[in-house]
Amino acid sequence: MQVTLTMKPRAKPFLPIEAEMINPMNFIGSQNLFVWEGNKKRRLEDIFTVRKEGNVNSPENIVVVLRGDTSRVKRVGEYMSSGTIIVEGDIGMHCGNFMRGGFIEIQGNADGWLGREMRGGSILCHGNAGDYCGSGYRGEKRGMRGGKIEVAGNAGDYLGEYLTGGEIHVHGNAGMFAGAEMRGGCLIIDGDARIPAANMAKGTCIIHGEIHEMLPTFEKIGEKDGMLVYHGDVANKGKGELIVKSKIT
Amino acid sequence: MSELLIKNAYVIDPLQGIHGDIMDISIRDGRIVDKVSGSCEVIDAAGNLTLPGGIDSHTHVCGTKVNFGRYMSPEDMRAGRTPRRGAMYPTSGYTVPTTYGNSYRYSKMGYTTLLEGAMAPMEARHTHEEFAATPMQDMLANTLFDGNWSLFEAVGDKDIRQAAAVIGWTLAAVKGFGIKLTNPGGTEAWGFGEDLASIDEEVPNWDITPREIIDTTIRACELLHLPHSVHLHCNNLGMPGNYRTTLETLDIPGDMNPDRQTLYLTHVQFHSYGGNTWGDIKSEAEKISDSINNKPQVVIDMGQVMFGRTMTMTADGPMEFRLYTLHHNKWSNHDVELETGSGIIPVYYSRKSSVNSIMWAIGLELALLVKNPWQCMLTTDNPNGAPFVKYPEIIGLLMSNKYRSKELSQVHKLTTDRTSLGSIDRELSFEEIAVMTRAGQAKALGIINQGKGHFREDALADIAIYPVKPDQTDPSLQYEEVIGAFQQTLYTLKDGVVVSRDGEVITGVANRTFWSKANLPEDMDVLKSPRFVEKFSRFYSVDLENYLVQDEYVQRGVAMNTGVNS
Amino acid sequence: MFHIEDKVRHIVCPYCGCLCDDILVELTDGRISGVENACTLGAHKFLDDADNRLKGPIMRKGDQWVDISYEEAIAYAVQTLSEADRPLLYGWSGCVTETQAIGAHLAELIGGVVDSTTSVCHGPSILAIQEVGHPGCTLGQVKNRADTIIYWGSNPIEAHPRHLSRYTNYADAYFLHNAFRERKVIVFDVRKTATSEIASEFVQLEQGGDYHVLSALRAIVRGREDVVPDMVAGVPKSQLIRVAEMCKKAKFGALFFGVGVTMTGGKYKNIRNAIEFVDELNRHTKWTISPMRGHSNVYGSNEVFTWITGYPYAVDYARGIAFYNPGETTAVDILARKEADAALIMASDPGAHFPRTCCEHLAKIPTILFDPYPSATTHLCTVQIPCAVNGIDAAGTAYRMDGIPIRTRKFLETGYPTDTSLMHEIYEQIRERKEHV
Ligand code: SF4
Repeated sequence: MQVTLTMKPRAKPFLPIEAEMINPMNFIGSQNLFVWEGNKKRRLEDIFTVRKEGNVNSPENIVVVLRGDTSRVKRVGEYMSSGTIIVEGDIGMHCGNFMRGGFIEIQGNADGWLGREMRGGSILCHGNAGDYCGSGYRGEKRGMRGGKIEVAGNAGDYLGEYLTGGEIHVHGNAGMFAGAEMRGGCLIIDGDARIPAANMAKGTCIIHGEIHEMLPTFEKIGEKDGMLVYHGDVANKGKGELIVKSKIT
Repeated sequence: MSELLIKNAYVIDPLQGIHGDIMDISIRDGRIVDKVSGSCEVIDAAGNLTLPGGIDSHTHVCGTKVNFGRYMSPEDMRAGRTPRRGAMYPTSGYTVPTTYGNSYRYSKMGYTTLLEGAMAPMEARHTHEEFAATPMQDMLANTLFDGNWSLFEAVGDKDIRQAAAVIGWTLAAVKGFGIKLTNPGGTEAWGFGEDLASIDEEVPNWDITPREIIDTTIRACELLHLPHSVHLHCNNLGMPGNYRTTLETLDIPGDMNPDRQTLYLTHVQFHSYGGNTWGDIKSEAEKISDSINNKPQVVIDMGQVMFGRTMTMTADGPMEFRLYTLHHNKWSNHDVELETGSGIIPVYYSRKSSVNSIMWAIGLELALLVKNPWQCMLTTDNPNGAPFVKYPEIIGLLMSNKYRSKELSQVHKLTTDRTSLGSIDRELSFEEIAVMTRAGQAKALGIINQGKGHFREDALADIAIYPVKPDQTDPSLQYEEVIGAFQQTLYTLKDGVVVSRDGEVITGVANRTFWSKANLPEDMDVLKSPRFVEKFSRFYSVDLENYLVQDEYVQRGVAMNTGVNS
Repeated sequence: MFHIEDKVRHIVCPYCGCLCDDILVELTDGRISGVENACTLGAHKFLDDADNRLKGPIMRKGDQWVDISYEEAIAYAVQTLSEADRPLLYGWSGCVTETQAIGAHLAELIGGVVDSTTSVCHGPSILAIQEVGHPGCTLGQVKNRADTIIYWGSNPIEAHPRHLSRYTNYADAYFLHNAFRERKVIVFDVRKTATSEIASEFVQLEQGGDYHVLSALRAIVRGREDVVPDMVAGVPKSQLIRVAEMCKKAKFGALFFGVGVTMTGGKYKNIRNAIEFVDELNRHTKWTISPMRGHSNVYGSNEVFTWITGYPYAVDYARGIAFYNPGETTAVDILARKEADAALIMASDPGAHFPRTCCEHLAKIPTILFDPYPSATTHLCTVQIPCAVNGIDAAGTAYRMDGIPIRTRKFLETGYPTDTSLMHEIYEQIRERKEHV
């Protein structure tokens, strides 16, 4: 079954919409779904034109397509465990929070906290991801714990903060403090990064581009496949691995 | 005039010697009376267990350190969020909920009186501000004296009268209720990063020992006739082998007060450890309870640990730092000049850990081995051992050997060898639970005459009706029903008003703050002592005039008059 | 001519987070004519107060200001706030906690966001504390014990003028014989400042190099100086080793940091690193760390919001339960994304401190400003309501930068209503309105 949600024009287009019920599972059956626009609770149909095609069987066979300006729509795919969500444009914050399974594809850009505290499944973002992609919540000791996030463009600051498991692969550049407080998992950045892997405890961070402002507290261990291997963060008794291209600026 | 009649109540009122009679309770204008008119509102208790409102004699719910526990833990806050419902404000938090969260959850469990375990005098205004936002319970604040320089000087001079003068002035100045000593001397040593290993070790820079601080303070407390005894958190909390310190401390006081204990030891579970390291830690609850069984002058509370996530917070700064070096989780510390310290770290008590399992067993051992329930109060040292919402489970464990054995089989296997829990078959009765959750507290805190903990005529009509019929229930087998009943009252009444029903708070009320007002003769006026006053001008960072807690902070204060015999 | 003169003592200065409570104010004919003990910053605020106050509420009509009554101003606030889809309640740091508490409840009542000036000063410090905790103490503890003091990215001589004399370098100490001579002051900053002039050790680091220097210090204290390169962010390794030694040798050390660290690159990670540096030092000796909070009662707003909502600032009640996520629920972010459709600004001046896009948005939406004085925000708002000044003609609770609660004193009767009473009125009117719907 395909469910297409097309944004309707809104009187106040900048109001955030919280829509954690946009999760394939919820489109089985015909219960009323509600979202929040600012401090008002609205029916899903007040915000989106909803079109359903095909037969319902199980959530893994459901594809939800978001169309129109969805850049203010938050928490899409939260707690999702199967099925597919395709965002044709940009998506708001917290897309794929706590995701456990299934697949989210974002054809535009994703705002902050993409795949926060994700446990499984995969997210593919064709554009750029905002800050805190694959990170945790304030005060929490674990970020993303499993699954995979792939970003074709650039990522913002604090990419994979507290990364604990799973893999994040950014094809473009990352902002500052990528992989800060990492405690597991694998973070791959094809482009450049600023102050990466700060205070890391465990896990692997691989950077193919330039590193800006490398920290003074990583210990050079050796070379592997033409890349330099560091251990650290020594400031933190860390046992993480930072693998970088040989030239450091 | 408002009147209310509770009919067919299965009443246990240990202070009046009512052991489970079906009876009616009459209420007028918030107090228990002999009779009400025939036309008044009636609640049919239908044979359900009806007790005086619950009293927690040691909990951390309001003040600087509690709030810092909230402040540093957004991850905990998101765990317990509820929206506004009827008269209830929204709440957040699980281990350290917001003030309304604490207040509603306690109310739904039938609690109407709470003693905040640790208030630094200098930060008293903060505690009182939060008291005002904890509306469903009357509040009392134990006031910290463990590192109080003026008290130390009196101890050094062996001047009990001067010690009493300092304590009396301070309690009245900050609207405190009783004396709390937390790791006496140790919090001062922590000012330079140290701690004390025994009650006979000298406090650095001061010519005194914890033993002398404890002894002098107890004597000063009795000289002042304070309602509550000295409330002591012993030295060496949480250290393997610390039971020796606890036994030595238990030997300090004689029996000095006919109405109540002379010394209240709090969260004794954390102070009953044998062995020398975390590797060979074992229970010494038997030795500790033997000592208590021979000392009618002592009352303790359990400080039970329950498995799961919680937050530890205490004035015992050095202890929290030790804990931090073990757990490596977030650590906060807050020393208070000339007075005390404090520390906070989150912990997770796991069944898989031998140490945590042994701690869990020790608390239960204490409650079961101390023979007289009036000497052992039910607490978790909320939230240190567990959030107070776990009390009903603890009641279940104490009332049912079957439940206990089942749980014991699921904790770390070393627990059976290192504690005696498996060999204890005592099961507590509803009456004993009533003593350990309200009547005993009222007596220990000295607030029976304030109308707390009983249904005598003119008592405050604080009442909890639990959905369990004791004469038709066997707690030993039906422990799940018992636990459920204590989790949520049918009705909680405060001052004669139904404040919560079936778990919903239905009305907001205004609470009281009890504080101790010592009326002292002129020779005990500390403000005439240049040494005392100089402390403010030279070493405190606030003026004496701005230190005093103004009446605005105790708008519904109840001053308990005390004083020395002239 | 005959003058009525009066002196009032133990006045609390409400102008910075030091909250000095030993001020003496002289009154002549009911006006402040002299101030003793305060620094020039505080004294000026007291002395200039009367001449600067707005007489009564004003409302923008076209490009004119018209005087309106307090009742009209309240009615406008009630209507605007109760109809908004995403109201923002911002400021609060100049208010007493009694007012801040009403603000937190009001946010919940109207499904709004409540945020304090924290989000543009020490918000990052709070984020860091939420990751690793905060080993701190009261200022008197520092005064009586500290023999080593670090000011990092803060220049108290200019921002908190009496910090040094009341609490640190020049203060009387119980445990030091000649406190001034025995104490060492270490300053870390990117440039020379008035405070670095008096330092026994000045560490000048490159802009944005705080994190690197802190990491290096942590590694050195942990005995891993072998990995540290010869130069870190412009600081020679030898100096770092020397400073680390000084820190370890201290009997009691106190590190104070200011917005110089919280607001530069890395922000909360810098603070986190500083806290973990202090944690590490505590394995050797006693150290504490404290943020130099700016506005008088900004810490009070964090305290009150925490016990009521669970979170210290940036609390979003849009859905009736509290949600907190700085970067998303902070005033600056909400305005930059043009989300807010109404704003209440309490005794603060976003017009002077917020990025331009935020100010432009504030000017577009109904904005109600509570402030006794005209400010940059006056130019952005629709209505301005002057009220009594906390610490002059209003009293209430304020929390010092170290968490000590102090009651400010009211020593003048001016006839202005307090913000507590006005907020209470707004809250009650909205509550009644909601009950009728
Ligand atoms: S240091 Fe701050 S509080 Fe003290 S007088 Fe100056 S401005 Fe006022």
